[in-house]
Amino acid sequence: MSTGAISKNWEPREPGKSASQARRAPQVSAKVAIFYVALILAALIWLTPVITLVLTALKDAGDFAVNGAFSLPKSIRWANFSEAWQTGVGNYFWNSVIVTGIKVPIGILIEAMAAFALTHMHFRWANKVFVYVLVGLIVPMQMTLVPLTLLMNALNLIDTLTGLIILYIGFGVPFGVLVMRGYFRTLPSAIIEAARIDGCSWFRIFYRIALPLALPAVVSLCILDGVATWNEFILAQIFLRSDELRTLPLGLVQFSTQFSTQYDQLAAAVLISVAPVMLVFLLFQRYFVAGMGGAVK
Amino acid sequence: MATATIPAERISAGPKRSPSAKKRRDQLRFLPWVFLAPALVIYSVVVVYPMLFSAYLSFFRWDGVAPKKIFVGFQNYVVLLTHNEVFWIALKNNAIWLIAALLVPTSIGLGLALLLNSRFRGSHIFRSIFYFPAVLSLAVVGLIWTWIYHPDLGLANQLLDALGFKFLERHWLSDPQIAIYPVILAATWNAVGLPMLLFLAGLQTIPSELHEAAKVEGAGRLQRFWYVTFPLLRETTLIVLAITSINALKAYDIVYAMTNGGPANRTQLLSTWMYFLTYNYNEVGLGTAIAVVLFSLTLIFAIPYIRLMTRKV
Repeated sequence: MSTGAISKNWEPREPGKSASQARRAPQVSAKVAIFYVALILAALIWLTPVITLVLTALKDAGDFAVNGAFSLPKSIRWANFSEAWQTGVGNYFWNSVIVTGIKVPIGILIEAMAAFALTHMHFRWANKVFVYVLVGLIVPMQMTLVPLTLLMNALNLIDTLTGLIILYIGFGVPFGVLVMRGYFRTLPSAIIEAARIDGCSWFRIFYRIALPLALPAVVSLCILDGVATWNEFILAQIFLRSDELRTLPLGLVQFSTQFSTQYDQLAAAVLISVAPVMLVFLLFQRYFVAGMGGAVK
Repeated sequence: MATATIPAERISAGPKRSPSAKKRRDQLRFLPWVFLAPALVIYSVVVVYPMLFSAYLSFFRWDGVAPKKIFVGFQNYVVLLTHNEVFWIALKNNAIWLIAALLVPTSIGLGLALLLNSRFRGSHIFRSIFYFPAVLSLAVVGLIWTWIYHPDLGLANQLLDALGFKFLERHWLSDPQIAIYPVILAATWNAVGLPMLLFLAGLQTIPSELHEAAKVEGAGRLQRFWYVTFPLLRETTLIVLAITSINALKAYDIVYAMTNGGPANRTQLLSTWMYFLTYNYNEVGLGTAIAVVLFSLTLIFAIPYIRLMTRKV
């Protein structure tokens, strides 16, 4: 999809402009060239950490020790990935998949229901409830850790993925409601009213009309929330204790202290954790903009 | 809104339909709560109740296990302010971090947004490139930058060596005097994407006619930015500053991954020091007191944001 958007850009957009550019061609093209060179240089510098990461993941440990991180690998060593995968990263990966895969759909469903009630159900307390929910956006995690530890202990949910998922759903509510509310507000209330007059129940309106119409917002939220869940660290750190339950960010940090000298494998492990996010980002990047726009509107 | 709907209902609710209309209104009074219940219940249990309970615990001396908590009033706060050196280091680091976050990623983000807002060949690719670090987890960002700062094999020192600035080489993350700055630089790399995205969204709402008009009036590029673009980006700027400061105060994972608060606690933040006091030293009272301080600081920067978000209801 991204390549499609790019290739479209390669065609001249404004014929009028390109004609006037043609008249002053030599001067303009020099300027354009400088502009592109500067921009490409800036982009390369910006991506240096990522390039270093990829180069490190592809070379063997001896090569790294002799030539450092920022040199082309002597020979590409794919085994780094399979070795990292087998030393636990595969396990962390599937834990992250489980947590994200369960958390995101449940979270979005309850957030969308709440946002629908706040925008289209003529609810007198809507504004107050919304402020109450917004507070959650600014609460530092640290403010909740001790009581949550007590609570999770009492419920026997410490060191379980279930417990972690419940916490993630709770902490996801403010942002989700914010995004979904932003979108539902743009749905014309006439549609909802019309359905009411036809005798449609509120649940049906929500499920059959509002939710399908809000699909762009749902997709945006899926992606933003999915990435955020995939990357979450502090709750996982506090509430997961055993190695076989760790999610990726937590597992990687542990991995790095355990195998602190095996940079090749560590880099491969980091790359494995980044790959899905990178893929989602490349495929759905326009939804990042749309989602954030919904949060600001 | 409510006043507007009442007359309409009166008109439509003729004598025949009035019972069902009443039933409908009763149903409507409680039905929104049904829709809200799942989200509100889990949010209240997981976020709001623990928050309040933390504030309560900050007035007790407690190790987290003993059956009895000893009420000590404001003593935990007094201890932090007067007897806890690391608290002040953490507070100072938070302040440096906050100032850096308000100035650097926001300006870079605005600059990139202005640059990449115009359509030119490949502008989409460059947007993706500059946004990309923002989708990485801070733990991963921390790990990557830890290698860059490695004294012997890391890129930072190798680069300085190659450029002939060998005297500038440092043990970046283990020099207590400077260790916090490399961490902030790494965090900045991750923090640029969001302001850029928000500014791009903001720029797209400015009608191009305004720029055309200013151009006709003879306004230069800089003047157009200062008198047209910037005033119209005011709201976006406010949101960007609020979100960046809130995120800056939330910083935790990246420090944990890069320095774990060291060397000699010189890179502790309030968030990491809270973790140390609570989970390593079992000082639950002091830990929750720090959390309350951190939350209060966040609140200062968040209030304008919340007002802005709710004003347009």
